[in-house]
Amino acid sequence: MKTLLAWLLWLWIALVIWAAFFYAPGAAENFQVPTSYRILFFHVPMAWASFAGFIGSAVWSVLYLRSRNPRHDLAAAAAIQLGLLFGVLATVTGAVWARIEWGLYWNWDPRQTSLLVSLLFYGAYLALRGAVDDPEKRARLAAAYAILGLVVTPFLYWIVPRITFSLHPEPVVNAEGKSQMSSDISRVLLASSVGFTALFFWMHNLQTRLLVLAERKSAGGDQGYGA
Amino acid sequence: MSPIASSWAAEVAAVFVKEWRCEFRTRYALNTLALFAFTTLVVTSVSLGPMGIAKAQGSAVLPVLLWLILLFSVAAGLPRAFVQEEESQTATALRLAATPSALFCGKLLYCLTLVMALELLVTPVFLTLMSLGVESPGLLAAVLAAGGYGLAVGSTLVAAIIAQARTKGTLFSVLSFPVLLPLLLLVVELTRTAVAGGIGDMGSTAGVVLPQLLLYDASVSVAGLMLFPVVWNP
Repeated sequence: MKTLLAWLLWLWIALVIWAAFFYAPGAAENFQVPTSYRILFFHVPMAWASFAGFIGSAVWSVLYLRSRNPRHDLAAAAAIQLGLLFGVLATVTGAVWARIEWGLYWNWDPRQTSLLVSLLFYGAYLALRGAVDDPEKRARLAAAYAILGLVVTPFLYWIVPRITFSLHPEPVVNAEGKSQMSSDISRVLLASSVGFTALFFWMHNLQTRLLVLAERKSAGGDQGYGA
Repeated sequence: MSPIASSWAAEVAAVFVKEWRCEFRTRYALNTLALFAFTTLVVTSVSLGPMGIAKAQGSAVLPVLLWLILLFSVAAGLPRAFVQEEESQTATALRLAATPSALFCGKLLYCLTLVMALELLVTPVFLTLMSLGVESPGLLAAVLAAGGYGLAVGSTLVAAIIAQARTKGTLFSVLSFPVLLPLLLLVVELTRTAVAGGIGDMGSTAGVVLPQLLLYDASVSVAGLMLFPVVWNP
């Protein structure tokens, strides 16, 4: 069953890539360089997957503190690692696109700033994990830090837009509840977002299992990690 | 006051008094904070003193420098609050003697008094050396109080986390920066408003940003009280 789902995921991603280049229209309105918009199909879902890593780590950290099941701690760590990976990819694709659209790789746009701060947070979380040897202590401290991160970062969503103005277009679902994109583009974007979310959770599952195995190996035997 | 509440308050007071008694034995945090603040003040004053920067630019740049001086002084002195307990192996005795919430509040009070003392020392000297006029002293006082509290509560929790890790010194800056960044952006914005005074919509900026600053303080305090037992108890 798992193998079948993985193959379906790969088929879906392949279809998204095909659709991004051949199904979606060649040029989109409201862009400086209309033909450059295709990177959107990869940039936005990557930013979304990075955000999923952020929320996921906090959820698994809460679960860990409630159950003290080491697997939840490793799931939180895996979510942060993948959040970092997708965050770096979103930053790079965004910077490339910003150079083409706005003429600058980096301009402290509110979303660039928020993403950068979340990358700093991911880095700090991993640094903390690296600095504690005892697995139980590491899990406790890292879980507390992940939850603290989720408490303070929402403030950035108020603060940063006041300080710098945004060049990013209105979100797909804006105040009027209407999409400003043509239906073909938003269909591919939606499919891509679904695909990347599934990809995130598939990779997360693999990474968590890897971390559990590594932990078992370093502990020198079965320490009661769930299957 | 009910007996439980009064014994909790007594624990908080005992931790607070103990912190200051230990501090006066070595004066580690006091010396570090004061000397670090003094050094950075001298550097900023020499390179950017009254002649070094135009008045209009000064009201935009100098509030940032003031908070950077406060932030790095705090990062130099405050982590000591918990690191010292682990190093002198008194943490276990403290775990037995005080409930986690009382311990957190006692340590927080100690850090808060330290930060407030630092602010009282640094801010007047900074304003004088830079000849930076303040249009709204009341707002500045409110920002220093709420911002200082935010610095103290965020640092106390992060200090408790790093005390149990291996690389304590550098880790504090790494971990505290993402947590304190929203706070710093808020206080810098408010300090600029207090300094610039009548320009633009001072009342409305303060009316929007000050509640957000208070909300930050409240959220981090609640998170600290809830997370501290997890961090502290093995």
